[in-house]
Amino acid sequence: MFFDATEQFINGVMYGFLYALIGGGFTILFGVMRRFNLAYGSTIMAAAYVSLIPLYLFKAPVWLMVLVGMAAAVLIGLLVEFCCFRFIKKGHELAPLLATIGMLIAINEAIVHATDAAGLAYPSPFGDESLEVGPFLVRTDYLAVMVAGVICFALLFLLIHKTRFGRAMRAVAERPEAAQILGVSVRRINVLTFVLTSAMAGLIGFFTAVSVGSARPDLAVFVTGKGLVVMVLGGLGSLPGAILGGLVLGVLEFEATWFLGATFRDILAFVILFAILVFRPSGLLGARAS
Amino acid sequence: MEYYVAIASIIGIHTMLGLSVYLVAISGQMSFGQQGFFAIGAYLAGMSTALWGLALLPALVVGTLVAGVVGLLVGLPALRVRGLYLAIATFGFGEIVRLAFLNVHYTRTIGDRVVGPNGAEGFRHVRYVFDRGFTGLHYLAVILAVLAVVVALYYLLERSKLGATLRAVEEDETAAASVGINVTRVKVAAFAAAGAVAGLGGGLFIHYSTYVDHDMVALPLAIASVTYPILGGLGSFVGPILGAVVLVSLTEGLRFLHELREFVYGGLIIVTMIFRPRGIVDEALVLRVKAWFRPARH
Repeated sequence: MFFDATEQFINGVMYGFLYALIGGGFTILFGVMRRFNLAYGSTIMAAAYVSLIPLYLFKAPVWLMVLVGMAAAVLIGLLVEFCCFRFIKKGHELAPLLATIGMLIAINEAIVHATDAAGLAYPSPFGDESLEVGPFLVRTDYLAVMVAGVICFALLFLLIHKTRFGRAMRAVAERPEAAQILGVSVRRINVLTFVLTSAMAGLIGFFTAVSVGSARPDLAVFVTGKGLVVMVLGGLGSLPGAILGGLVLGVLEFEATWFLGATFRDILAFVILFAILVFRPSGLLGARAS
Repeated sequence: MEYYVAIASIIGIHTMLGLSVYLVAISGQMSFGQQGFFAIGAYLAGMSTALWGLALLPALVVGTLVAGVVGLLVGLPALRVRGLYLAIATFGFGEIVRLAFLNVHYTRTIGDRVVGPNGAEGFRHVRYVFDRGFTGLHYLAVILAVLAVVVALYYLLERSKLGATLRAVEEDETAAASVGINVTRVKVAAFAAAGAVAGLGGGLFIHYSTYVDHDMVALPLAIASVTYPILGGLGSFVGPILGAVVLVSLTEGLRFLHELREFVYGGLIIVTMIFRPRGIVDEALVLRVKAWFRPARH
């Protein structure tokens, strides 16, 4: 019992880094633009599909697959920014949200038509063997997710706290008007934020498809659901909160699957989501509510 | 002919969903969870006729009331948060309902059929309408009659003081509170009523399709429901009706475009939002149309 709980805890923390990355992508965009991009899940899903192309064409190595996926995601992200955010007048919160829904429909349709809606097998470059760490069995792809997540978040913190771009980004997140007056181009920061979060989407797409074992259209809904829960758990707009939220969700899901069964797991995630929103809307680490 | 009757029926049912989201929207909030109330209405009304032997009308009332009460119970805690938080919370509620119905087994064998909510199998054989020899056209008349009543209520609401109160809350909660409006009560009331409207739509739906399962009330239905009022316009109840008519007709009418259909659909949403961020029937249009009917003063 205690052994099982510990093993699931380890798996949950490792897989939680994937959730943390998903939530991080949503959170950064929300933090900077105060807008929500519902097409983000589709971007992740499409990136997973595109990263298969070099593999099919010439048995590309893993790093090339990830890079191609990231490049595709950045292109899609720029398209989303251009269509859904650039031209919509300020002061209308719902309009860009609905526009990203339009984009979500279009991206999903493009993927479904290109591949006939059936999923494509996504080979795991990390092998099927589990590692033995002490008495525990550890899945290698989960280990890879954790390593990638740690590196990615380390780079993100350097970027946000040690570079000019990061400072400008934080300024826009804090007070867009004031940042504009002080010479920060808000539009440029918005575009660069889209590039940054979309590059993350490429990475997320790769690891999601690897852990699920296939690239499928419904990955979009899967990552959107997880992203929302993580974002809310951590507190909207807080990146450390998103990381913590991702790990917490990962652990809770693994423990719930092991002890209660898979269908219960999903209900649990949304019950937590609802309860946190209602009773602690600032999330685990968020500073302010609403 | 049957094809057009089917489309009209779907439009009528989806208009209920659009009107439901609209009612929450004009109190200044956005709900991504109305499909949860739709599911509650569908399951409850379906159980009423198929398992408990009620007639159609009482069954619809049961579905509507239960959805409304759940709306009240959810709205009381949930409406402490607003904006994007509420949108996500309501989506969470919708998913909880969906996943709950995925796990509910409450069946009885009637004749040679297993009737009742049956987990992932869904809820099949709600044959009340068929067993009584209704044609598609008859049932369309039922849908439109119910819709007419709902729309009439919306019309009265928008002309009433309560309608003005809702709009005041949407415009500025602090200002509304300072003139003595109980903001929370108004928002919770709107949310409960919206739940009832969605539940009514669900009850109509299950008797139309004879069948509902958890997949039908997932994220795509939530997206469709919010698309109707936002695209159609938040200026008047005509907006969500127009949105449902236009979008459902487009889904069918664009079939000749085959592969391009969904791109045109998604693209139209984006273009509409760029040029009319408050939807087609926005407040400015409503004022202009009202001015036509006002007697000219000289």
